Amino acid sequence: MIRAVHPSVWVLRTFVVVGLMLALYAAAPEGFVPSPFVTVVVLAVALGSALKPEHFVGSAAPAVVLIWWAGVVQSAFPDGTLIAAAALLTSHVAAVLLGYGPPSMSVEADLVRLWVPRGAAVWLAALLVWFTARAYSGHATPSEFWLAGLAAAVVGAVVAAVVLPTTRPVAEDG
Amino acid sequence: MTDNRSRWRPTSALARSLTVAGVGVGLALTLGRPALVVIVAPLLVVGALGLLHKPQQEPRVHARIGHVQLHEGQGTRTRLEVFDEDDVEVVTRVMGQVPYVALHPAEGAVAYRSGQDRPIEISPRRWGSRLLGAEKVAMMSPWAGYRWGPASIPAHEMYVLPTLTHLRTLAEAPQPIGLIGAHRSRRDGDGTEFSSIRAFHSGDRLRRINWRVSLRQGTLHVESTRAEEDTAVLLIVDAMADYGISEGVGGQESALDVTVRAAAAVAEQYLQGGDRVSLRVLSPGGEYAGYGTGTAHLRRILGLLARVRPGLPRDVAVGEIDFRAAAGSVVVVLSPMLSEALASATVRLVRRGLPVIVVDPLPPGTTPVVWPDSDPRVADLAWRMRLLDRSDLLSALASAGCPVVPWNGPRTVEEVLRRLARRTQLPRAGGT
Repeated sequence: MIRAVHPSVWVLRTFVVVGLMLALYAAAPEGFVPSPFVTVVVLAVALGSALKPEHFVGSAAPAVVLIWWAGVVQSAFPDGTLIAAAALLTSHVAAVLLGYGPPSMSVEADLVRLWVPRGAAVWLAALLVWFTARAYSGHATPSEFWLAGLAAAVVGAVVAAVVLPTTRPVAEDG
Repeated sequence: MTDNRSRWRPTSALARSLTVAGVGVGLALTLGRPALVVIVAPLLVVGALGLLHKPQQEPRVHARIGHVQLHEGQGTRTRLEVFDEDDVEVVTRVMGQVPYVALHPAEGAVAYRSGQDRPIEISPRRWGSRLLGAEKVAMMSPWAGYRWGPASIPAHEMYVLPTLTHLRTLAEAPQPIGLIGAHRSRRDGDGTEFSSIRAFHSGDRLRRINWRVSLRQGTLHVESTRAEEDTAVLLIVDAMADYGISEGVGGQESALDVTVRAAAAVAEQYLQGGDRVSLRVLSPGGEYAGYGTGTAHLRRILGLLARVRPGLPRDVAVGEIDFRAAAGSVVVVLSPMLSEALASATVRLVRRGLPVIVVDPLPPGTTPVVWPDSDPRVADLAWRMRLLDRSDLLSALASAGCPVVPWNGPRTVEEVLRRLARRTQLPRAGGT
């Protein structure tokens, strides 16, 4: 039986798509406008991730946005960066809320109230990094700094890969 | 009802946040793009918090249904108990949609924070066997890092009873021959309804003496009353086929819906009046209940009606069935009379001198459900021919002295019985 999609799910799907598009266009006022091709690609992947929030395509859309930022914005540091961080986070939180149940299920206001303050709190991390980066802007960054950061990221990735698979045996019904 | 064969697994949300953060940090470090670190920093935090809240113990779930017996249209609640829920932040329940079972919320799915009580209400909309309570349960750890399940909780089969009307019969039975009861007998006895005033006989009770008449006549006279007896009702339920569409309580009724609900209503009416009721179902299951009284017998009859599945009786032809109609019984045949064998059997009961009433449950304008690949014009023609046969059978029954009435609510049988009782009280030439 095909169940109808609940209206609250459509709202969250909209947040997923709009969040990704906003992350793409956050630097547009400062002259970094994405090409129509990139816009179409991101929009298509964003629609896919809105419809299937549990699918791996949900990771593809933000990745495309980041690649575009790396390729076009380059080492510039526009003010829209904070907006892009907020938009990407909003898209992620909306997808998390969508992932709690099937599309026919209404999204509980209680769960929205749980995640909105969380989102606002973790966005402060972006603000913190932004201020730190601003403080260091204009100074030459030593290459050891980037190498150390890269090594830390690799170690973090290895730790995450080790921790992620749950190796706990399946609990048998006794 | 439990299902604990599941385990915690990383969610796609955790994978997304870590992947995007990893891509962003990797690009930033390799290409020297500080803006990317700002963009992915919140996702990095979300992913890290998800990892930090990795669950340490497996939860156990147990679902409970509030009632084990329901009438159609009634509702109950299913509750989920979660044990060892320290690592659980959000619980999601998704209940399967099954025919003739309404859910609240209508989509049958809820997601709520652990520790809250969010039952799902279920209401069977039609009598019969229903599978209730099948659901899938999933749980999320804090920050949506890990998911447990979805685990399946099996359904619970419930025999949903037909609705009851709670109306007591007011009509008297045509030929009551029981011991005690509420129906006026044709003979005098120890009842409450006035019959006549006659001369005193030895054995008459002194409180029955009518002093005014005795003084006027000069001899003792007493008031005699009618005896009050119970009666026996035999319900014959034709479940050999179902015609029409059933939408459950409050919606369109099929012929079998009307039959079962009418049988339940009549059984309830007479059993509450202290009468004896027997049930014989013409179906593959051949459900049968002998004559009995009381609430327990009503429950038994309702339980048998809830088990009825349409189809032809096994191992025996309709014309050969012994209905075991006791002398003096009122026979109520609930049938659309599309079977000639049943019509013949009904006429035989009439010829035995039993008061027989045929209740026609076929709703007006009913059409049978036909195979999808059949020609609708042929099906329509065949149905019209069957209706013509049915019309002949109903006419034959009426001419044999068997009233045929369409089901029109719980008072349907009562009105006919009142007419039959009046007919039996009329003086007959050569009668007793």
